[in-house]
Amino acid sequence: MDLLSGELEVEKHVKYILSIEKKKDSFESVAMEHLRMNGAYWGLTTLDLLGKIETVDQDEVISWVMQCQHESGGFAGNVGHDPHILYTLSAVQVLALFDKLDVLDVDKLSDCILWLNFMEKNAATFSPCLLDRKLDICGLQNEDGSFSGDIWGEVDTRFSYIAICCLSLLHRLDKINTEKAVEYIVSCQNLDGGFGCTPGGESHAGQIFCCVSALAITGSLYHIDKDLLGWWLCERQLKSGGLNGRPEKLPDVCYSWWVLTSLILIDRVHWIDKVKLARFILDCQDKENGGISDRPDDAVDVFHTYFGVAGLSLLEYPGLKAIDPAHALPVDVINKIFFDRK
Amino acid sequence: MTENKDSDDIAFHQLKQLERILECDPLINEVGFIHPSQFAALDDEIVGSDKSVAHSIPQSVDEFISTNLDANDLQHDSSIFWIRDHKLAISTEALFHLYNAAKHAFMAALTQQKMVDSLCRKTDKSLNKKVTDDNTGPDIFLESEVMNHSKALLLLSCDNGTAWNSRKLICSKKQCLSLLMDELLFSALILSYAPKSESAWSHRRWVIKAIDGKYPKFEDVVERESELVEKIAERSKMNYRAWNHRCWLITYMTKEQVINQLQNSRKWAELHVGDSSCFHYRQLLLQRMLKHCSRFDVYHVRKEELEWNEMLIKRYIGREALWVHRRFLSQLGSRPFRSEAEKEPYVVSNQDNINMNNFISSEMQLLHSCLSISDNDFEDIQSQGVFAASYILWMFKFFNLRQQLHNSQLTVLEDMPRVMGELKMALNKLCPEKTLLWEDQVISRIM
Ligand SMILES: [Zn+2]
Repeated sequence: MDLLSGELEVEKHVKYILSIEKKKDSFESVAMEHLRMNGAYWGLTTLDLLGKIETVDQDEVISWVMQCQHESGGFAGNVGHDPHILYTLSAVQVLALFDKLDVLDVDKLSDCILWLNFMEKNAATFSPCLLDRKLDICGLQNEDGSFSGDIWGEVDTRFSYIAICCLSLLHRLDKINTEKAVEYIVSCQNLDGGFGCTPGGESHAGQIFCCVSALAITGSLYHIDKDLLGWWLCERQLKSGGLNGRPEKLPDVCYSWWVLTSLILIDRVHWIDKVKLARFILDCQDKENGGISDRPDDAVDVFHTYFGVAGLSLLEYPGLKAIDPAHALPVDVINKIFFDRK
Repeated sequence: MTENKDSDDIAFHQLKQLERILECDPLINEVGFIHPSQFAALDDEIVGSDKSVAHSIPQSVDEFISTNLDANDLQHDSSIFWIRDHKLAISTEALFHLYNAAKHAFMAALTQQKMVDSLCRKTDKSLNKKVTDDNTGPDIFLESEVMNHSKALLLLSCDNGTAWNSRKLICSKKQCLSLLMDELLFSALILSYAPKSESAWSHRRWVIKAIDGKYPKFEDVVERESELVEKIAERSKMNYRAWNHRCWLITYMTKEQVINQLQNSRKWAELHVGDSSCFHYRQLLLQRMLKHCSRFDVYHVRKEELEWNEMLIKRYIGREALWVHRRFLSQLGSRPFRSEAEKEPYVVSNQDNINMNNFISSEMQLLHSCLSISDNDFEDIQSQGVFAASYILWMFKFFNLRQQLHNSQLTVLEDMPRVMGELKMALNKLCPEKTLLWEDQVISRIM
């Protein structure tokens, strides 16, 4: 990896990320504002990995994050929007980046995650009066151990990961029946070793990352046949060095993260060519204006910039902070959460 | 926002036009965002094919225009909207202001609706119900505002979850079947130009769960839903969200539907051999169909699918999706599929041994036929060699009949070290970048 040292355009990427927030004058920039919380996580984590998080106004970010919190405890993608578990994790991660998890009412938030879980049963017959229900149903879980994304009941292993990762960061994993949660995730494993959204769902690298990380956090990786899954994952590497997310797809920088984390967590990362992958990611940089795209010469965005830099961090690219593959946060942030507890 | 008042007014007026267009023609089935200079080209495309006047609502939807609409309201700015034959085009120049107007209108209506809702709930729960029956009152007005504005907003920003949720909330309050069916039309419209919109697919699942048990011919809904996925998959290759939706539908299918789907998807797969999602769909259908079948039935279904797959492998050289499907088939009928019968100990019959011997030696033949041409420099032919050799290695390593293999006299297995050596050599030559994988897998297999 030392060979490629110096090829990452650190300053330009920092400039690019800081510029995104200022652009509000085109349709493309405003039409995505409903997921601004995810964008904040991608941008800020990238800045932190690059060692430049102090370039943003921390108080401003935190006060905006807290404005996105819904009365139920969950977070929305932006002020005034509905809460969803997808944005809740990003909000928790952003607060963790600034070592500010103590601004949260942790019990209320973790009860909310449990509550979403409970709501699944009522999804089809949902009635708005349930919104008024007191959050006193701690400990209730879907019979099958799955998690929903919000009160509307969509179930997905991504939401299992998010719930588990969130509760882990909040030291509240004991609130759920992890055994059941793990059982559900394992039921989504396919014969090819991969995982899908629900039982029987097609294997997809993004879903695999969620399932493997959730199993890692709960100490349940022994459920996985590592050779079988590792084989599927390393078949994602194409001649260009880039990784795809499923058979027959083009390589894409974002899979550097999803495939690589999974390979690291199951200890099979030596089956891919790491230098070639780093080369591919570096070739996706916009060397002039900063930012990273999905494939060489495509338009850059903050999503792929984050996954590119995070991928390079996993590859131990010189000068980057290390990142924790399961929680998707810099290792020093994770250490603070798990080892510096008062 | 630093917009001046005038441009806000203009944008709001345009939003009204858009909402009126959508209201007048609920059958709009395609939307596109194009530069206004291309509007003329759209007109040319259908010259002679249609007699309706350009830039006006087509005659065919007259029946949908309720009597209280003023004909003047149907006028719209032809430099921004183009509509004909249920196809709508919106000028890319107008999107930014239109989006802002739609967002503000939607958010304002939603806030007001929530306020009225919580007031109703606090004072008297039954009040809410009563007003709903009346079809008047402030909440009815606000509901239609939320429905209209969210429609316009979603058209411009299809993954806005809050806007989708506001529609779900109104649908679940009304408990009205036709309202739910309208949601299927509207989300299909979104999917016509955003086929990967996760929120739109998820919205459909919510609607379908809500009408299950209420709609008289629910099988028809499932059938049409499956057809919709196929139509979208045709234009949007390798669409994970679309196929995932179709897989989800299987649990709602009747036995006959499963068999029909298997037949129909076969033709589709032959024309789209690179779309591995379609093969995954077949895998689920096969498992569903064979769930309660005898070992004999499983054997025959599997054999037929293997032969079909081999025919495709030989016709389309170097297609990964076909080999991935074959890996699955190699395991079909083995232990994980037999959950029903798992309680009884599995006895390997003589016939099993013969079948297994035949299967493995025919797979070895397939391997040799693929490797014999892989000396060729063409990339597809080289890939075919890698796929074939890694398929055999994978099968030996993960065969769930390992137990069975051990107990039986499989002639091909007596020669395992030689077979492994041959595979290792082929793979290291054709795909040297994965040497560490081949090394690990071959060694762990021999030991
Ligand atoms: Zn990507």
